[in-house]
Amino acid sequence: MACQVTVPSTRERVSAHDADPAPAAPRPPRRAGGLLDRWGSLVLPLVAFLLVVFVLPLAFVLAQSFTEPEPGLQNYTDFFGSPVYLDVLANTFRIAGMVTVVTLLLGFPYAYLMTLAGPFWRGVLMVAVLVPFWTSLLIRTFAWVLMLSDTGVINTVLREIGLISEPLPLLRNLTGVLIGMSQVMLPFAVLPMYATMRSVDRRLVQAAEGLGATPLQAFWRVYAPLTAPGVAAATLLVFVSSLGFYVTPALLGGPGDVMIGELIAKQLSGVLRWGFASALAIALLVVTGLLLALVARFVDLRRMLGGAR
Amino acid sequence: MNETIAALAGTGASIDVQGISKRYRDTTALDDVSLQVKAGEFITLLGASGSGKSTLLNIIAGFIEPTSGRIEVAGKDITTVPPYKRDLGMVFQHYALFPHMDVWENVAFPLRRRKVARAEVERQVRQALDVVELGRLAKRRPSELSGGQQQRVALARAIVFRPRALLMDEPLGALDKRLREQLQLEIKRLHSELGTTFVFVTHDQEEALAMSDRIAVLRDGALVQVGTPEELYERPSSRYTAEFLGESNIFTGHHRGARFIDATTKADLAVGETGDCAGALVLRPEHAHLAAPGSDIPIGHNVLNGVVRDVIYLGSGLRVEVTLPDGRAIVSRPAARGRYTPEPGTGVLVHWHAERALVVPDHPSVAP
Ligand SMILES: Nc1ncnc2c1ncn2[C@@H]1O[C@H](COP(=O)(O)OP(=O)(O)O)[C@@H](O)[C@H]1O
Ligand SMILES: [Mg+2]
Repeated sequence: MACQVTVPSTRERVSAHDADPAPAAPRPPRRAGGLLDRWGSLVLPLVAFLLVVFVLPLAFVLAQSFTEPEPGLQNYTDFFGSPVYLDVLANTFRIAGMVTVVTLLLGFPYAYLMTLAGPFWRGVLMVAVLVPFWTSLLIRTFAWVLMLSDTGVINTVLREIGLISEPLPLLRNLTGVLIGMSQVMLPFAVLPMYATMRSVDRRLVQAAEGLGATPLQAFWRVYAPLTAPGVAAATLLVFVSSLGFYVTPALLGGPGDVMIGELIAKQLSGVLRWGFASALAIALLVVTGLLLALVARFVDLRRMLGGAR
Repeated sequence: MNETIAALAGTGASIDVQGISKRYRDTTALDDVSLQVKAGEFITLLGASGSGKSTLLNIIAGFIEPTSGRIEVAGKDITTVPPYKRDLGMVFQHYALFPHMDVWENVAFPLRRRKVARAEVERQVRQALDVVELGRLAKRRPSELSGGQQQRVALARAIVFRPRALLMDEPLGALDKRLREQLQLEIKRLHSELGTTFVFVTHDQEEALAMSDRIAVLRDGALVQVGTPEELYERPSSRYTAEFLGESNIFTGHHRGARFIDATTKADLAVGETGDCAGALVLRPEHAHLAAPGSDIPIGHNVLNGVVRDVIYLGSGLRVEVTLPDGRAIVSRPAARGRYTPEPGTGVLVHWHAERALVVPDHPSVAP
């Protein structure tokens, strides 16, 4: 589900090191001919691991998209020639964008609250945000079905206390998808923002107030801009991870809320069009990559993912 | 540069600290501190680490709420006024420059918050940067500046809005000695040219002596003594002040009439003032003269026998350590080329005029 995200972030982190703007410090002498020094060679097993579980399968998928069921481009022409499939792609980006907005709006104040809380409440808030990591995605999604359906917990309670007479449509539509996905993605928004907020020097806010800024101005002009790297990291992480969802939209969404992940799963398990499924996956990967490249032109990805400091 | 600085000059406000106390759960950071700072004065809060200097400065600035007491600025009670309405400039040891803004934006920040017109912001920021001689670095980020440059930006930012007083919490503490001395001069010059009230915090007594109109000595949250550098140096009111400011030779004993009886040797020494109490005799090294054994001692001087232990050449003079028969040491600072040249290991007479030594209470007394 979140495998795409490891691509841009790891790559950016690794390259951030090479492009460090600091003046070249005298390096310890390297062994003749060695590409990696003694410590560098420790990452070799990891490189091998990534090669086996990530690069090779990806190459296989790429090859398959051009060869199954027969060599040629027809998988791609099918995809880009059909408005239905393109709608699914657009829908995927639309939903991922909306989930990103929702999690940021919820996650920013949540992370801020964590920085203000004392040790006990900070612990409570941290556990609360981490709970989704400790329960299976499937179980959580079914739990949402129980919560959101017409006879589910929420609608029943609202009807009992007389706030509504007809059940609210919370399931099998966009609302359901947004609720379910946002809950899953919330930790990915909260954690990077909290990490950045914790490193922001509080004394700067105080200094701003001493210079005549009201507490609100000090927050928005000094504190908030300094949390930008965390917000950017959260945005990227949530958005890219959201693109790959399929269980949640499949169970909580309606027919109009199909995401590309669901489409890929159907091609694989339902109609066994392996080549077409591969083409869909590659298309998602490429479009995501292009989008990131576009973002990178305007913001410093390295900086916002905490690479260069 | 003098015209630009004149444009930033303002009239400083008086600051009246009235019975300020600050208690934390298990510590008393400040205990009933009262201090009148005159308009336009350069006053320094001096004390060891943990003596409550920062707490007092932050209470004046409005960042910390006192447990009890009042703060008045220019005669108005501001104890409950939030910091952003106090109109006081603050400079921190850690600079507190905004890292996401360049130098120019940092300095413009207080003006923008005051809704100053754009052209006027432009002009005043340029002036403030000229005053600290950083005009050419306006587009740099704080991270691209040296420590001294950063602190100068912080100074420019603190004076650009013509605050009623400038509060500085160990602003030079993070800088090396040479830079510190240079900035001491710049801050001193800034004070005389701006005419604003300066409240300066340091734990460095030399810095305090060199810069201040008056010094307030704090110890364990209480004010020990307030006075001009000369007053504090020449007439410390307690052993603590005497030891904290400059070097001193101290004998504990008893003050009886115009005599002082040393507690260990029972030596009977003449002193200027009369009194009757246990106390400490304070003798500054520059008042302790040296003479060869057997030479004539001026009338009215006390004399002690000793042996020269150590002679250090300081350029402007000597620093001589003399061991007394009971093992204690006395420090003397004679001129480099006097009539008598001390030789380590030889006998020596230490003598001083009775009026030059001072008897103070052995424990700190609170200044009136
Ligand atoms: N927030 C706080 N909570 C508890 N004690 C504090 C706090 N701030 C300062 N103190 C205590 O108050 C005393 C004075 O501190 P401070 O004003 O920072 O001293 P200085 O600036 O002279 O080094 C110290 O003993 C310090 O430990
Ligand atoms: Mg301090």
